[in-house]
Amino acid sequence: MLISFFICIIVILAGIGIGSVPISPADIIVILWSKLFGKEIPPEISDITVSLIWKLRLPRVLLAFIVGGALSASGAVMQSVLKNPLASSYTLGVSSGAALGAGIVIIFGITIPMLGRLTLPIIGLVSGLLTVFLAVTFASKVDRNMENNTIILAGMVFSLFINAILTIVSSMAKGHLERIVFWQMGSFASKDWTCVIIMAFVVAAGIPCVMSFSRELDIMTFGEEQAQAIGVELKKVKWYLLALSAALTGSAVAFSGIIGFIDLITPHVARKLFGSTHRYVVPLSALFGGTFMVAADLVARTVISPSELPVGAVTAVIGAPFFGYIYFKRRKRG
Amino acid sequence: MLSIKGLFCGYNGVDVIKEVSLDINAGENISIIGPNGSGKTTFLRAVAGLIPYKGSIKLDGKEIVQMKRKEIASKIAFMSQISTIYFSYTVFETVMLGRYLRMKGGVFSEPSKKDKEFVLKCLDAVNLTELKDRQITSLSGGQLQRVFIARTFAQEPEIILLDEPTNHLDLKHQIELVEYLKEWSQKGRRVVIGVFHDINLAMQFSDKILLFSDGQVAAYGDYRTILDGDLLKSIYSIDIKNYMLNSLRRWESYG
Repeated sequence: MLISFFICIIVILAGIGIGSVPISPADIIVILWSKLFGKEIPPEISDITVSLIWKLRLPRVLLAFIVGGALSASGAVMQSVLKNPLASSYTLGVSSGAALGAGIVIIFGITIPMLGRLTLPIIGLVSGLLTVFLAVTFASKVDRNMENNTIILAGMVFSLFINAILTIVSSMAKGHLERIVFWQMGSFASKDWTCVIIMAFVVAAGIPCVMSFSRELDIMTFGEEQAQAIGVELKKVKWYLLALSAALTGSAVAFSGIIGFIDLITPHVARKLFGSTHRYVVPLSALFGGTFMVAADLVARTVISPSELPVGAVTAVIGAPFFGYIYFKRRKRG
Repeated sequence: MLSIKGLFCGYNGVDVIKEVSLDINAGENISIIGPNGSGKTTFLRAVAGLIPYKGSIKLDGKEIVQMKRKEIASKIAFMSQISTIYFSYTVFETVMLGRYLRMKGGVFSEPSKKDKEFVLKCLDAVNLTELKDRQITSLSGGQLQRVFIARTFAQEPEIILLDEPTNHLDLKHQIELVEYLKEWSQKGRRVVIGVFHDINLAMQFSDKILLFSDGQVAAYGDYRTILDGDLLKSIYSIDIKNYMLNSLRRWESYG
């Protein structure tokens, strides 16, 4: 576990250091140290380097880390709650809802006065959550026991339907197509401290909430009937956990667009290394997801520098084969 | 302890159990037998409060449907038939989950010494102490079944409902389990209700047999009265007595 922390810190430092202007880890530590404790920055480090780190690289890397963590923790929860190793918040339509919301904001150029620049992420979040809410409510109406298969199917139906609407809407507004498509591909470019701080609050509140349900999550992986028989108030806990993880994914999507795969793989990696107990799976998924996201973002912005690859594509390109390897290797053994 | 009156229940508005009334007293074990689809599992689910029902199921005078999940689970443990396992835990962790309602400490603290000792005792009861650190995905069907049985013990209930508890076990473990369950219920005037397909094992487990046929109670009472006559033959549509006697003759001639 210590090794994981260590790797994570190295990756973050690498994420900050590597770029069009390389900066040595020693300088980074000196700059961070001085900034955090209000000390003078030694004269041998130039002002440009300082502002490059403090204004550009650090917020970007931190946002990538937090978003990766939020996505992965919520993926772990979804997989266990729905008792399906292939589930994620995206299964329930968070991403398509958010994409439709964002698409509408982009096409109509809406700006809500109080929110200003944050209109896009916040509408994205709200419409993502709304979609999940509608899907789960629908599922609970048609199936009083809210069984997992009903929830997954309802989520799929809603996602597909909303995707279709988004396609129709964007085909009618060709001028905005590029922006909509780029938003959907996900990116951490030009994000400032506001985003980092908001996301940090969401994650700092969300992950401990999720972790306080570790035991229920453990029990729920054994099936709904057994969970109830052991004494879990299944329907209530399910609603609560689905809402929590939708909120985590929703806010991540709102700030960075749709970045797939990370929420699917990292919980599997965490389980493989440290067992399935959620007391460990949830925080470690978050840690791995964050680290992986920083690495993926690093690749995305350096490979064809000065232009960038969409980070969502990078996670999928690395993630898909990796996932196949992990998952099928385990199957063979078991 | 359990009093059931005019019970109807089923799925999607179709009643599987049709008007069942019976009483079960403390310290009594019941074997449920009956052909496929006769309502055995559905009956257990209703008693465990897992499906809605019409009529009345009272546990110590209290209606099940009005009890909270935690209240039911502190008194009734239910082991359903094994389903696919997606995420693996160790044997010890799995049985510890049965302590869910009994654990005092917060989520982030380790289970207490008392909880750990209790779990070890439950593992010992099903002969799994040596396997306690194994991953459950690496176990055989019979071992896994014993893990889940240990988990129902860990719940410290007054009533255990078991849906075909012996279907993955070899003969030795079937007999050991049945003997242990008898001892467990006698020790604390508790109740075990088990669904069995093996009629011989059912009779070994309890004197009292509940025979279901098409969602109704065909017979409820001492097995001696049920074996008598043509009741089993007509319900199972096969001459069970003759089948058993033929088997016995084989053993006597060649065994």
